[in-house]
Amino acid sequence: MMRIGLSFIISAFFCLGIAALPQRASAAPTAADPCVACHTDLSKVLPQNHKPVKGTGFSSCTKCHATGESGEAEVNAFSTKVHLAHFAQKQTIECTACHSYVAGKSFGLIGQSHSWGAPTDSDFAAMKEDFASWAGSAFTDNLHAKASVDCAGCHGKAMTSADASVDNQRCLTCHGPLQKLVDKTRNAEFPKRNPHSSHLGDDIACTTCHHAHAAAAVYCADCHKLWKMPIMGTGK
Amino acid sequence: MSKTEISRRSLLQAVTVGVVAVSGGTALNMAVPGTAEALVRKLPGSWDETWDVIVVGSGFAGLSAAAEAAAAGAKTLILEKMPTYGGNSIINGGVFAAWDDKWHYREKLNLGTDSPEQHWQDILKGGDYYSIPELAKAVADGAADALEWVVEDGGAELRPTVTRAGGHTAYRTHAAKSGVGREYTEALRKIAEKHGVKPTLNSQVTWIWRADADPKSPVLGLEVKRGKKVVNLRATKAVILASGGFSQNVEMRSAHNPRLTDEYNCTNHKGATGEIHKYAQAVGADTLQMNFIQLYPYAEPETGLLDAQAVYPFNGPGYGILYVTKQGKRFVNELERRDVVAYAQINLGKDAKPTWSIFNEAMVLPMGGAQEEIDEGLKRGRFIKAETIPELAEKCKIPSDALVDTVNKYIQYHKDGKDPEFNKPITPAMISLEKGPFYAIAQWPAVHFCMGGLRANASAQVIDIFGTPIPKLYAAGEVVGGIHGSNRLGSNAIPSCIVFGRTAGRNAAKESAA
Repeated sequence: MMRIGLSFIISAFFCLGIAALPQRASAAPTAADPCVACHTDLSKVLPQNHKPVKGTGFSSCTKCHATGESGEAEVNAFSTKVHLAHFAQKQTIECTACHSYVAGKSFGLIGQSHSWGAPTDSDFAAMKEDFASWAGSAFTDNLHAKASVDCAGCHGKAMTSADASVDNQRCLTCHGPLQKLVDKTRNAEFPKRNPHSSHLGDDIACTTCHHAHAAAAVYCADCHKLWKMPIMGTGK
Repeated sequence: MSKTEISRRSLLQAVTVGVVAVSGGTALNMAVPGTAEALVRKLPGSWDETWDVIVVGSGFAGLSAAAEAAAAGAKTLILEKMPTYGGNSIINGGVFAAWDDKWHYREKLNLGTDSPEQHWQDILKGGDYYSIPELAKAVADGAADALEWVVEDGGAELRPTVTRAGGHTAYRTHAAKSGVGREYTEALRKIAEKHGVKPTLNSQVTWIWRADADPKSPVLGLEVKRGKKVVNLRATKAVILASGGFSQNVEMRSAHNPRLTDEYNCTNHKGATGEIHKYAQAVGADTLQMNFIQLYPYAEPETGLLDAQAVYPFNGPGYGILYVTKQGKRFVNELERRDVVAYAQINLGKDAKPTWSIFNEAMVLPMGGAQEEIDEGLKRGRFIKAETIPELAEKCKIPSDALVDTVNKYIQYHKDGKDPEFNKPITPAMISLEKGPFYAIAQWPAVHFCMGGLRANASAQVIDIFGTPIPKLYAAGEVVGGIHGSNRLGSNAIPSCIVFGRTAGRNAAKESAA
């Protein structure tokens, strides 16, 4: 996937990417910096053994932590940690504590002028719901959170909408090639009984079974009722 | 005209007048009062997307319609509510009735004569003359060309034989090389993709937009749920409904045919739930023959699955397959129609499950079988194999003496060319059950196909409750009622879906874009 300097995914959704722009990275935190409003001394919230940090604003972090602004399918420990720290443990914190949001117009970061998309209220509500699921469910999304894969890791740099889905190619960037999955679930006795080599077509969507923000379920079992196939992320 | 009709008509007129009086307009809505759908619905103020033709469903009919519409230059969208494309079609048994094919298998194998006329008459007779004759004729007339289309343009491959299936008077049933309907859905998908159309998955239609029931009032578009979002899509030329049947909707099927409760398994994919029938009715569409619902007589007894092996009992009768009860007795003329075979089993009583099909090695290839399916079926216990009939009886837990007696009589009937027990017509193509190895497969009826559905004409236009075509609304495939009468003959589904799909697609593309 081509890297484009300005990429917003994460920023858009997670608000962290923005400072990765060189000129931004060196900019002084504004009065309305998303961090300083609550954390007057950022050093108090740094992990143990973290190198000392100069400055107090968000840009102090992003000097080192470029946050997946390209929209690559990759782990992003910083974004994941910051979001989980603010959301998972203190669910009273609203997205808008750090993010600026005007329905249908812009979505950005407090104190920054960039906007990374124009989610509608329904898009935003869906994002919040899915984000909460990512942070604390027993579904596939939370398995990704635990592996430090944030929204952009799957959804790329475009802001997600209420009808978003994820293409197979995206999943296969980390989990592929497909043949590896076919081999993993091969049934030695009945080779045709392989969910990754389905009679419903070679291009059957991963999300047919592996729902991210809802309980994963083996689609085969809708008809093949006697088959027992395990799957992760069922919510149990 | 009955009182009800008068009151309905005045109601519809009232709605129409109301719309004229109040500019902006509410949508026509005949949903049940008190349900969410019955709320006053305003037509969308704006449309999220605009297309020429929108097709609902991605099975044989939907793909065919979209391919033809797009080929004629229409900007076409296919909506599929499931996360996978193909509906029932992709899991269908792959049998395709057509009087001819590019290889002329019937002629080459010396299997008698056939014609579109003969096929048409079989459809009518097989459905007890409840078929709308012009619809059945369209299927018979278009079947060979439809087969040619999926083979030549789509790359579908066939097994080199034709079989005579129950209710058909000719050897005209073709089998897909892969043994399943995917052979044709992939071919149709390829043709549609050539013209730039791919199914859009996870897109569930939740309403059909039409302003009123004026005979000149066209269908405008669709309300569609995609993920957590609801969008309104405008179709300037036409909407084509190719959404399949309602076999999986126990409430709906038993409302029309009370016997078909959840006691019966179902061969269909889980999305065959019939809500599109109701949305179409809610904007004035007529339905017919909704109680004619077919059972597939040979489904896997425990789950109702129609796997590749479950097609063998269906393909076998023309080549001499034998059906017996678990007591080892015959119970029906094996060449009978699906409804006769299914109810012959059901009438034996619940304890009679399962019944068995018995065939021998010599029948496998002529009846469209494949060694790979035999091997796989044996391995997972679907087929049972034995060198002798007593050994087969023992393995199937059928009383050996009874089965030996039945088989011996059956062999004699074939020698005599006469079946005094069930009057099965014996043909020279039928193979004697004298020589082993022998195979058996268990079977039991499961809900399979809805013959009834929306009323349509031979141009695939949907007809309203007063007998007038609803402008810009077409239908094709299982959602259309009245093609097959009270009983669809096996292997007529694929040709009827493709023929009507193509007609709907071509006619939709010809509509003016407004």
